[in-house]
Amino acid sequence: MANITKKVSWSSRADESGATGERTPLLNGSEQQNPLSRQPSEGGSVFQIGRLSTVDLEEEITSDEESLRGRPKEIPHTEKLLSLKYESLDYDNIENQLFLEEERRMSYMGFRCLEISRWVVCGLIGFLTGLIACFIDIAVEQLAGIKYQVVKTNIEKFTEAGGLSISLLLWAFLNSAIVMLGAIMVAFFEPIAAGSGIPQIKCYLNGIKIPRVVRLKTLVVKVCGVICSVVGGLAVGKEGPMIHSGAVVAAGVSQGRSTSLKRDFKMFEYFRRDTEKRDFVSAGAAAGVSAAFGAPVGGVLFSLEEGASFWNQMLTWRIFFASMISTFTLNFFLSIYHNKTGDLSSPGLINFGRFQGDSVAYNLYEIPLFIAMGAIGGLLGALFNILNYWLTIFRIRYVHRPCLQVMEAMLVAAVTAAVSFTMIYFSNDCQPLGPEHNEEYPLQLFCADGEYNSMATAFFNTPERSVRSLFHNQPGSYNPLTLGLFTLTYFFLACWTYGLAVSAGVFIPSLLIGAAWGRLFGILLASIPSNGSIWADPGKYALIGAAAQLGGIVRMTLSLTVIMVEATGNVTYGLPIMLVLMTAKIVGDYFVEGLYDIHIKLQSVPFLHWDAPATSHWLTAREVMSAPVTCLNRIEKVGTIVDTLSNTSTNHNGFPVVVQVSGTDEPAKLCGLILRSQLIVLLKHKVFVELARSRLTHRKLQLKDFRDAYPRFPPIQSIHVSQDERECMMDLTEFMNATPYTVPQETSLPRVFKLFRALGLRHLVVADDENRVVGLVTRKDLARYHLGKHGLEELQLAQT
Amino acid sequence: MSLYRSCSFCVLLLLHVHSIVFGDTLNLTAVEPADRPAIQSSPVFKPGAPGSLGLLASFPEDLEISAYCSEMLLIFGRRYDTYVNCLVPASRPVRVCQNCYSSYGSLREIYNNISSNQMGPGNESCGDTLLRSDRLMLVYQLYSNLKDLWGESSCERCITAGFQSLTNDTLYFMAILNQTNACFQKYQQGNHTELCTNCKNTYVAMNELYSGMEKNLTLCIDIEDAMNGTRKLWSKNFNCSLPREETVPVIAVSCFMLFLPIIFYLSSFLHSEQKKRKLIHPKRAKSYSSLMNIQDKQS
Repeated sequence: MANITKKVSWSSRADESGATGERTPLLNGSEQQNPLSRQPSEGGSVFQIGRLSTVDLEEEITSDEESLRGRPKEIPHTEKLLSLKYESLDYDNIENQLFLEEERRMSYMGFRCLEISRWVVCGLIGFLTGLIACFIDIAVEQLAGIKYQVVKTNIEKFTEAGGLSISLLLWAFLNSAIVMLGAIMVAFFEPIAAGSGIPQIKCYLNGIKIPRVVRLKTLVVKVCGVICSVVGGLAVGKEGPMIHSGAVVAAGVSQGRSTSLKRDFKMFEYFRRDTEKRDFVSAGAAAGVSAAFGAPVGGVLFSLEEGASFWNQMLTWRIFFASMISTFTLNFFLSIYHNKTGDLSSPGLINFGRFQGDSVAYNLYEIPLFIAMGAIGGLLGALFNILNYWLTIFRIRYVHRPCLQVMEAMLVAAVTAAVSFTMIYFSNDCQPLGPEHNEEYPLQLFCADGEYNSMATAFFNTPERSVRSLFHNQPGSYNPLTLGLFTLTYFFLACWTYGLAVSAGVFIPSLLIGAAWGRLFGILLASIPSNGSIWADPGKYALIGAAAQLGGIVRMTLSLTVIMVEATGNVTYGLPIMLVLMTAKIVGDYFVEGLYDIHIKLQSVPFLHWDAPATSHWLTAREVMSAPVTCLNRIEKVGTIVDTLSNTSTNHNGFPVVVQVSGTDEPAKLCGLILRSQLIVLLKHKVFVELARSRLTHRKLQLKDFRDAYPRFPPIQSIHVSQDERECMMDLTEFMNATPYTVPQETSLPRVFKLFRALGLRHLVVADDENRVVGLVTRKDLARYHLGKHGLEELQLAQT
Repeated sequence: MSLYRSCSFCVLLLLHVHSIVFGDTLNLTAVEPADRPAIQSSPVFKPGAPGSLGLLASFPEDLEISAYCSEMLLIFGRRYDTYVNCLVPASRPVRVCQNCYSSYGSLREIYNNISSNQMGPGNESCGDTLLRSDRLMLVYQLYSNLKDLWGESSCERCITAGFQSLTNDTLYFMAILNQTNACFQKYQQGNHTELCTNCKNTYVAMNELYSGMEKNLTLCIDIEDAMNGTRKLWSKNFNCSLPREETVPVIAVSCFMLFLPIIFYLSSFLHSEQKKRKLIHPKRAKSYSSLMNIQDKQS
């Protein structure tokens, strides 16, 4: 194997290559090149550790040969990177002495009150999320109503007088002006509010601290942004952002204060840590889903599906409570808005309407058809995801300046208007106006009087209404050509739109595409001559198509099934929807991952999936961990601590605390773990041994001081430590987590992975048999392995 | 309740009640009229249906209907007959509101009399007897069908209160409609383009009036149907819809819009600086070797 020798020589460390033979047995009998292929991890963009990898990668490695070792290398953005800017959340409780003391002081009543306040917080989360949903809904309805009315009158005027291109320009102008507002907010003020927010919340629940994702400012930008983008006529929905909004509400309410507004209500102080906050955020996400689709159970299951490793029965029950409150708050306020106070029958932002009656019953022989539709949905979804993947890479690489992003969003808005207008203009599909006026803004154009343009119901409308009319309009209100063209154009528009710097979701466009081709499918089936009207209702197929398309794009399973069932209010559709989503997922996963996972990858987030990649048992903690570890002594000099913290090249967050066995020169033994945030608080309060001695009245530091600083701990640069103080000593005994989790060096990667995923760890110390620190495993060390096409691959760390 | 006054009517009611309860056993010729009252409402009440007299004798004389009530029933039947006879010819083209509002008014009046608990001359109320004493509730069903029909047609909106006359709006609309139709008649022969230009004014005025009325909710089925018919004539028969004339400018503008993003993406591809990521060297590579060195030494 020539490439082995090549690699060995490439690694440019003669001593190491010489040692190869000796090292091999340590690696669980894996093949010889394995330790070697790990060596050059300072070069190449992708490393493959699998057994077959070296052959495939030969070329890539040779090209890396030219790059100088030791100098940071710059590569264009790819999906195979891990960003340094993401940190873990501390889901593991820090059981230091302060914590134990506080727990001892807390009375029985205190714990009861805590439990009650958890319920209160969940109720508040549900209530506020419902209110926000209500606000978004009303704002969109009103503003979109104004916009469509203006355009409609203009079109009517110019249909007769001539000059319809002016109407087209007006429409495009209105669209891009409104979208510009939203895009400016997002691009310049809060880029994290872009997109649907579901990937971000998924990451948060996975245990990753995405900067600024749960801030008040994000919420404001998100809400205004989503109103702008829906009113601006983009191919987007307002449901995904609702989930993000719910999560922000939860993170804000549970803390009882707002750092942005500099208001502290002195409430819920106990909840000011990541563990508690995570529970509330999952409640918020559930409340968001529930408000968006009127699906409280679906919301709970969504949180379960996305954030499941940290669940218990009481938490589930509380989350369900928040979901219910949220959907019924929305319901109640919408009933007031619609002048039907007390009528609680419009539960979600999107209302699929009720599927009832005989026409929507399905039969056994339709099940294979549904499964076939699921397969189509999977294929189309995969195509959507692949296109969007390339587009997103292009956007990250080239369209990264805010002004460019705003321009892009405006262009998309204008083109959406232009395409829609052209479609409507050339459509010959005229339908008589129904007696109950389903169409909010019927456009006549060149249709006979008393008829309306059927293409316009699909395009000249907010997407939610279009979905509903596809589900429920009479058979015959769309002709196949209209639906085919609509599917085609909307598919590309939606694919182009997702990933713009506007806050907008992908749920509704997917449903719309699916509903369109599903209805088309139903119509074509009905046109097959057969005895009896067994394919009576195309609305049923529209629903199945919508489920298939959505499942093919986002690849959610359980929660999506329940959401769809709840949104249609028809439990009998459970089976077909489940089958369809399963098929769509299986078919889609064959080609490419789900859209949210793609975007998480492209953000270079160190996301931990359910399990370690398969075929990784031969990797041990020794190979996975980072080493050497920066350790602190139990009684450490302040100067050392400050220097360690301010070292920008090693931005560590957790430091094992070691104790030197006195009198010997043996290496120090592990006795605890301390976090950067804790050290910063300690430095800020100047908890030095010398000071404590001199000032006897010095107030003892409490857990409260740490909570007050949470979650925005000041950077080390803002803390001033004088030259004298640098010489002081700091005793970390009280503050460190005295019992950190440790693993022996030989622990396999899946085992480490499981510990991380199940316990929500942030740092895992690797110790040898004498309890000396050998290395430290963090999330990024684990997340870099993933199963690629050629076996196990390793991601690169990069500065983004 | 036990008032036995007029035997001839009691006979009929008995027949009526029993025809429902023992419908199977009865002589079919006697039952038939009761089953199809909508078509033939009065025959039920014609005394002396030949087969029934025999039955009558076999029942005790506990008949519950008074002369007053049967009088009411008779009137109801007659008015019902009138109304239905008016409706059927007016069904196409729809003229049900214009032609039949007065007969509906009188029907409603008599029904209200029956159903209201107001006492008749003998201190009696016919509401319970006539409307609710059996499973079929024939009178009620008959009336409620017509009432639904009336509601469906929204005739109320075109009729003044108390069923006096058509509203002024309706009359005005009808006048305009006649004008338009006259215009259509006039130009119907020959080239339709002439019709389209000449009748446009009245047609547009009619359209506008119609949309105004639609907003005010003063439309009834007559007006809707008349408008529908006129529109169909205008658009389908005379082909006066607007032609699609501006294809070129619309295509030009859309193409222009479609080109903008291409230019945008090309220029950002060519001119924008590609974002590069700085790779960070993980510490473990070095550490790994050093660890190995330690172990090597140890071993």
